[in-house]
Amino acid sequence: MGSIRVDLGCRIHPETIDHFDRLPDSLILLIFNKIGDVKALGRCCVVSRRFHSLVPQVDDVIVRVDCVISDDDASGTSSSSSASAASDKSRYPISSLFRIFFSGIFRPLQSLTQLITPSSVAFLQLNEDVDSETEQTAIPESFYTNGGLKLRVVWTISSLIAASARHYLLQPIIAAHKTLENLVLTDADGQGVLSMNKEQLEELRVKPLSASSASKRTLVPALNMRLWYAPQLELPNGMVLKGATLVAIRPSEQPKKEVVGSEGNWIATAFEEPFRTAARMLVKRRTYCLEMNSF
Amino acid sequence: MARKNRNPVGKNVDPEAQKKKTRTLTLKSSDGQEFSISESAAVLSIAIENMVEDDCAGGVIPLPLVDGGTLARVITYLNKHAEDGASDEEKRKFDEEFVSGMEMGVLFDVVLAANYLDIRGLLREVRRRIADRMKNKSVEWVRKTFHIESDFTPEEEEQMKKEFAWAWEGVDSDVDD
Repeated sequence: MGSIRVDLGCRIHPETIDHFDRLPDSLILLIFNKIGDVKALGRCCVVSRRFHSLVPQVDDVIVRVDCVISDDDASGTSSSSSASAASDKSRYPISSLFRIFFSGIFRPLQSLTQLITPSSVAFLQLNEDVDSETEQTAIPESFYTNGGLKLRVVWTISSLIAASARHYLLQPIIAAHKTLENLVLTDADGQGVLSMNKEQLEELRVKPLSASSASKRTLVPALNMRLWYAPQLELPNGMVLKGATLVAIRPSEQPKKEVVGSEGNWIATAFEEPFRTAARMLVKRRTYCLEMNSF
Repeated sequence: MARKNRNPVGKNVDPEAQKKKTRTLTLKSSDGQEFSISESAAVLSIAIENMVEDDCAGGVIPLPLVDGGTLARVITYLNKHAEDGASDEEKRKFDEEFVSGMEMGVLFDVVLAANYLDIRGLLREVRRRIADRMKNKSVEWVRKTFHIESDFTPEEEEQMKKEFAWAWEGVDSDVDD
């Protein structure tokens, strides 16, 4: 019997070394940065004092928001025009997610990447189809054939609504993280990207938002919108864009800059090639102007 | 990673690169084991590359912080990544199998060695592997697997579990995988 106990002792002994004890803090942080998931990091806080002190230094945190931003006045339009097929995923209450941020453990975040899985697209620019060979999977075929231009306007509006909902959701995050310098928000399909730099974040902290009547999103100010559309656009390099659409939006209250010439330029510089060329070509086409009241 | 000294077509081969391939270095582990390795493979470690460049690599390079077993593993990795004609896909597959077969203690030996020798690709693989083992796992599982003893008082622990209750969603069962 005694020998059994000795055996166990021998076997257990080398196993009882805390693996992380061997690593310097910097190396543990490198590992934590690979974890990403905010919940896993939250659990790490509870593992030991050392973990608890290191987790807040993690730079890369991914928060998965498994929800669809539902907004009553958006539901009608987004169902007809939303780009993504994945519309009915599990709906977690958003409030439970943002508790994470209020608890304040990740305060020193330098950069935050947030993945959202909603059904619509925040900022639509263009959709492409390379020689009809590769289909953009997220965009239903009916979109091309079904009343092209009108649908695009509807789509743009629903994108604005989705964007304002995201903007609204971001406010508590931005308020809670004074050191946040750079924020990139994308949807799961990578179709919409919202990025804010230091100045824009600061502006949001200083100027509180006005919520819209639905109060789940930021009030969209009165807008001037220009839209260019081509059912088919052939680029010099032979690429063909089907249903190419370019939308430029600015608040009505902003002083009007000199139009087309310079505007064409700043619009084009917002894109990478080949879309830069496409944007340049599109602004030479017929411009559709829309004015929208605040909503 | 396309290194300029690798030329699949075989034309215009850089003579310096050729020399590196044929030159061998000897690495000596903390427990005195010696390993031969081509210079082209060895210099995938930035630390070794620096030693070679500073010309303090005369003969044998001592690596007092890496034991023989770990060094053998690291050399397997370096040789694969310096291999001519190994495609990126092949290397990726190799990397995956390389780290997934390692026991926890070995993973930590290798992560320390990769850090010390500054082998970026290996370091990335191993820390990702360790991180993956911690995702979706309970606090208890993490403690058990990495042999971490809680240094919180029971009261503190109770308090923390309340504070971090939101982090308990989506945790796997503690069955070892």
